[in-house]
Amino acid sequence: MELEVTQEKLNKALSVVSKVAVGGRSTLPILSNVLIRCDGGKVSLVTTNLDMAVIDYLPTLSAKDGVVTVPARVLAEFVSNLPRGEKVSLKTEGIKVKLAAGKYTSTMNGVAADDFPELPEMDEKKAVKFSMGVDEFKTGLAEVIVAASNDTTRPALTGVFFSTRDNTLFIAATDGYRLTERRFVENVKSEVKAIVPASAMQEVMRSLGDEADEIEMIFEESQARFRFGEIEVISKLIDGSYPGFHELIPKDTEVKIVVDRAELMRMVKMARVFSSVSDGAISLEVKDQSLVVSSISNELGENESETPAETVGTGKKSFSARYMMDALNSMEEDKVRIGFDNTATQVVMKNEKSDNYTHVVMSLVR
Amino acid sequence: MFDVWRNVLAEIEQNIPHESYVTWFSGSELISNDDGVIKISAPNIFKARQFEMKYDKQIRAALESNGIKVKEVSYIVSNKTTIKRPREITYDELPVHKPKTASKQDSAEIQATTSSLADNTPYATNFNSGLNPAYTLDNYIIGTNNNVAVSVAQNIIDSPGGRFNPFFLYGGPGLGKTHLVQAIGNALAKKYPNFKIKYTSTTDFFSEYIQSIRRKTPKGETQADLYIKMYRSLDVLIMDDFQMVFGKQSTLDAFFSVFNDLHSRNKQIIVTSDRMPNEIKALDPRLSSRLAMTGPIDLQMPNFEERCAILQIKAELMHREVENEVIEYIAENVKSNIRELEGEFNKVLLYADVRGIRPIEVIHGGFINTSSQMKKNNVTSQTIISKTAEAYGITVEQLCSRSRVSNIKTARQVAMYLLQEELSMSTTKAAIEVGLKDHTTAMHGVKKIKADMATSFDLREKIDGIRRKIYE
Repeated sequence: MELEVTQEKLNKALSVVSKVAVGGRSTLPILSNVLIRCDGGKVSLVTTNLDMAVIDYLPTLSAKDGVVTVPARVLAEFVSNLPRGEKVSLKTEGIKVKLAAGKYTSTMNGVAADDFPELPEMDEKKAVKFSMGVDEFKTGLAEVIVAASNDTTRPALTGVFFSTRDNTLFIAATDGYRLTERRFVENVKSEVKAIVPASAMQEVMRSLGDEADEIEMIFEESQARFRFGEIEVISKLIDGSYPGFHELIPKDTEVKIVVDRAELMRMVKMARVFSSVSDGAISLEVKDQSLVVSSISNELGENESETPAETVGTGKKSFSARYMMDALNSMEEDKVRIGFDNTATQVVMKNEKSDNYTHVVMSLVR
Repeated sequence: MFDVWRNVLAEIEQNIPHESYVTWFSGSELISNDDGVIKISAPNIFKARQFEMKYDKQIRAALESNGIKVKEVSYIVSNKTTIKRPREITYDELPVHKPKTASKQDSAEIQATTSSLADNTPYATNFNSGLNPAYTLDNYIIGTNNNVAVSVAQNIIDSPGGRFNPFFLYGGPGLGKTHLVQAIGNALAKKYPNFKIKYTSTTDFFSEYIQSIRRKTPKGETQADLYIKMYRSLDVLIMDDFQMVFGKQSTLDAFFSVFNDLHSRNKQIIVTSDRMPNEIKALDPRLSSRLAMTGPIDLQMPNFEERCAILQIKAELMHREVENEVIEYIAENVKSNIRELEGEFNKVLLYADVRGIRPIEVIHGGFINTSSQMKKNNVTSQTIISKTAEAYGITVEQLCSRSRVSNIKTARQVAMYLLQEELSMSTTKAAIEVGLKDHTTAMHGVKKIKADMATSFDLREKIDGIRRKIYE
């Protein structure tokens, strides 16, 4: 195999694929390698950790067919240290791989590609496809993914849930303490229910550069693929049923408030300083036409701030300051709507105007 | 059907590299066999694809050599068998408590919504886990001697059954192996309340197993079957002091069937020993290499500063003011064993209390002969056995043989007596050290020595002589 590419392109492709290879926690050594394949002048770089795989197609200056694998990190470090603008040539001799760029050369010990895992195939006719703008995808996903859980004992909650209802694709995540849901794509014809590991979604977000405008999401029975620009991420799906979270989102609430987001964030940050170390709890009290945020700490003292707000009803709730900040950070508009029932734990937060995004935080009861 | 698949897996395991086997075949199952039309499941699509592309031939061959006719094999994705833990988040666990003014009706509603969040029900765990809650990571002192082991422990607590499975921990006596593995067990029990966790000493495991073989239940199962079944149902198995492993091949096989079964289902296994797996004589290399699969981790003796830190923390825990000089003196003199270190420290404090003096005066006044006591540190079972053999004019091999020549037999009994007295070994442990398999023989022997000592001055003299030699 022989190929020639620019340092920038190769470096970028390696930064996309090599994280998956290095992060592998498997016993199989070849999983820390990147597979480089030249086929009919097309070059692709592939890595996998057996939960997901990343493929990056690389524009080349010239190429001769062949395939080899080399340690991803070693290659990535060599290439990233080369001066920009160099042409990098890569040539196999047996399983040795010779790299040359101007006056810099290295020879790496490769491993035959036979041992590299075969990637799953997809019957695209049977698969369900959606596509959307990259910017919307990024914002939507970032809003939802904050609520995904890290607790591997409940695998379903470590994923982002893609589901359709009323001709709309929704994404959602929950860790049992809060849940997020986002209207993702409207007017869809096909249906899907799939839990994609949050780690794979994070990888997709990380790899989304400026080059692509559109992202394609393709679901099959046991895999999902995300295609954008020259990159394709293949992920397994998490087996299992996703909790019926939808009923937990109250449709309407007795206490409602609309408040300036920046102001509320400032108040929460201040209250957080005085919140108790163990649970970081702060209180929100809705009064007639104002909102009071307060906290008390036995060691430090107490804090209280008040801001005018449009209100319906009155009531008081306690929150984890961190969850509250996460929620406020994930909002987009200048003002937010907050609503709750005095008897229920769920507190619903939305942007003032748009109904696209819902963030529910379970309040603390003290 | 499961058994057949286990045999098939065993055959495949022989033919492909171990890491490939573990990577691709763990969590696979034979789903159905409809007159030669066979369905096999893999836990995710990547693995199913490898079966299809790379292992199809091997799987077919192994199925056929296990007497299954194969017409067609298909591979599907299903992870029924992998970690689906009976664990749910209830409203009680949500950040804090329940609604302030929850009426009955409300709580009924909450019940309803909670059950929709649940996908599994917990099972009861009313059996003896063998864990001692006093051992925690919080009171485990971390230093350069053990930080690797502690970070592995942390990793296991975060993701049991993950990267460090099995976890093989080794190190000399009194360096904190038991504390660390008990702490892992306790932390896991706290984090995953529904986990079935068992801590057992290796001697207990095997002797209970051997005893259970002979008993039968009314249903015709042997007790041993039930015993193994119990161990197979665990989420976490902790075996302490694995160097004490004994028994015939069939007994070892019973253990390794449990081991393989738990491991293949990603259940966490933790094993401790005072030596590396390949140095445990009772194990053949095939078995010891399985234990060493993820790389054994060792605990070392803490250095001087860390020994001081340990004693300082201990003093704080006891709410005692102890002079630095005392701490440094003890840390300087006890170098091989943390248990011993704490023991000496306790002794000094106790003496100070009894005499009503400050700890430093105990050291300065030479009230207790710490330095000669501390020599005990170097005493190993080997020293005891070789000194005893020497005193009786025989070789260590003879002492540890099965010879019933009276002189040799007595030497063996004396050695066991000394092992028990000097190293506080259990009878079973002492028996193993001198090559005896039956601990009743050992008990009888030690009893005899004790009885004889009461009447025979010669014997007392002889044993005292050996004891002096041991501490020379």
